[in-house]
Amino acid sequence: MQNNRTSLTPRLLALIPLAVGINLAMGKIVAALAIPVFLDTVGTVLVAALVGTWPALITGLVSQVTFTVVDARIMWLFFLPVQLFVALYAGVAAQRAAFRSSVRAVAWGLGLGLVAATLAWPIALYVFGGVTAGGVTVVTTVLTGLGVPLGWSVFFASMSADLVDKAITFLLVLAVLRSLPLRMAARFPRAASALGRQ
Amino acid sequence: MILGYESGSGFLYRAHPFTVLTLVLATLVTVFALPALVGPLGVLVGIVLLAFIGGVSKVLPTASVLAAPFWFFLVVIHVILGDAPTRALVVGLQVSSMIVAFLIFLVVTHPGRLVDAMLARRLPAGAAYLLASALQTVPRLRARAAAIRDAQLVRGLRVQGVGGRVQGLLALGMPLVLGALHEVDERSLALASRGVQTGLHPTPLHPPSDSSLDRLARLLLYVFIVAAVAVRFLT
Repeated sequence: MQNNRTSLTPRLLALIPLAVGINLAMGKIVAALAIPVFLDTVGTVLVAALVGTWPALITGLVSQVTFTVVDARIMWLFFLPVQLFVALYAGVAAQRAAFRSSVRAVAWGLGLGLVAATLAWPIALYVFGGVTAGGVTVVTTVLTGLGVPLGWSVFFASMSADLVDKAITFLLVLAVLRSLPLRMAARFPRAASALGRQ
Repeated sequence: MILGYESGSGFLYRAHPFTVLTLVLATLVTVFALPALVGPLGVLVGIVLLAFIGGVSKVLPTASVLAAPFWFFLVVIHVILGDAPTRALVVGLQVSSMIVAFLIFLVVTHPGRLVDAMLARRLPAGAAYLLASALQTVPRLRARAAAIRDAQLVRGLRVQGVGGRVQGLLALGMPLVLGALHEVDERSLALASRGVQTGLHPTPLHPPSDSSLDRLARLLLYVFIVAAVAVRFLT
């Protein structure tokens, strides 16, 4: 069994900033496709599947700080616990061969969406009054306009976004893991167990 | 819009990066700890005044643009659709204060200077490298994502309907992710050849000076934070 604790080797120091870059660059692709999701945890989930939980946690932490700095939106920092939970969950999911099949990947992704939304909505509601100025807030506004109480509006808005987002994230990571060239896959032995091949 | 470092000459530019970072921390804590409505309003007035005095009033138009969507939705949700105008005002003031403070930090702090400050404080070199490297990687990968999008559109990618969008996600996302993973080998070899695992701590060539005024300012900010938290729990 491999040790879960990993020191920052040159390979990790190279991989983590690239994973952070993937987290932030996916926004461009989502915008081009006009899909109502974020896909801002693809890099974090990928790192969890390739090298384990601790590097994924570092990726989540650095991602959220970089998000905050690059987009000059300090509000993102309040959602750091969600990113860290995503990393923890993805680490467990990878250990349990969540990427063995598409159905498993979607199921684990939906599970993550459920918990991520449950973690995110109190932050959005109690810290920012239900307003995070993104697409989710538009849904919140519509639901509030329809007479749904604010707390439930924020919850349903977060849930609808996160369920789809995390299911697609897991599917995309599955596609990446399956497409890894053999030479590259050999450098990330955990990928095989994430795919249920060990 | 100013979203990053811009050269200037105010006293905030000369301040140690950790002093400006402590200012951001103080803003974050006190806008929530001090009693509403006076607390967040006072913090916002204070931080805006500091921006003027410190020669970084240029952040204020950007801060207004970033805060505008919050104010809009706060008014719609809490005033037009709801009946909590005070809540809208308090959250708006809190968010605006945080935005102004953070923009000041971004505008006056060169990322390299921040990394030098971290290294000079003997913070782990790996942490400093990760932050600096991520900040440099993001614009590059964003540009690559845009280039992949353009290339695939030229090749006939159509992103209409659910099926088209799913195909589009694979056609755009896979090259981006696999391309980034291909870089790992090259980068890790470069890092290994620079001796990142030798355990030696790099010495910054020009560490930012940490004057007694900086240390005093940080001390006062910490006292302000503790006092604000004490007020929160005692009242």
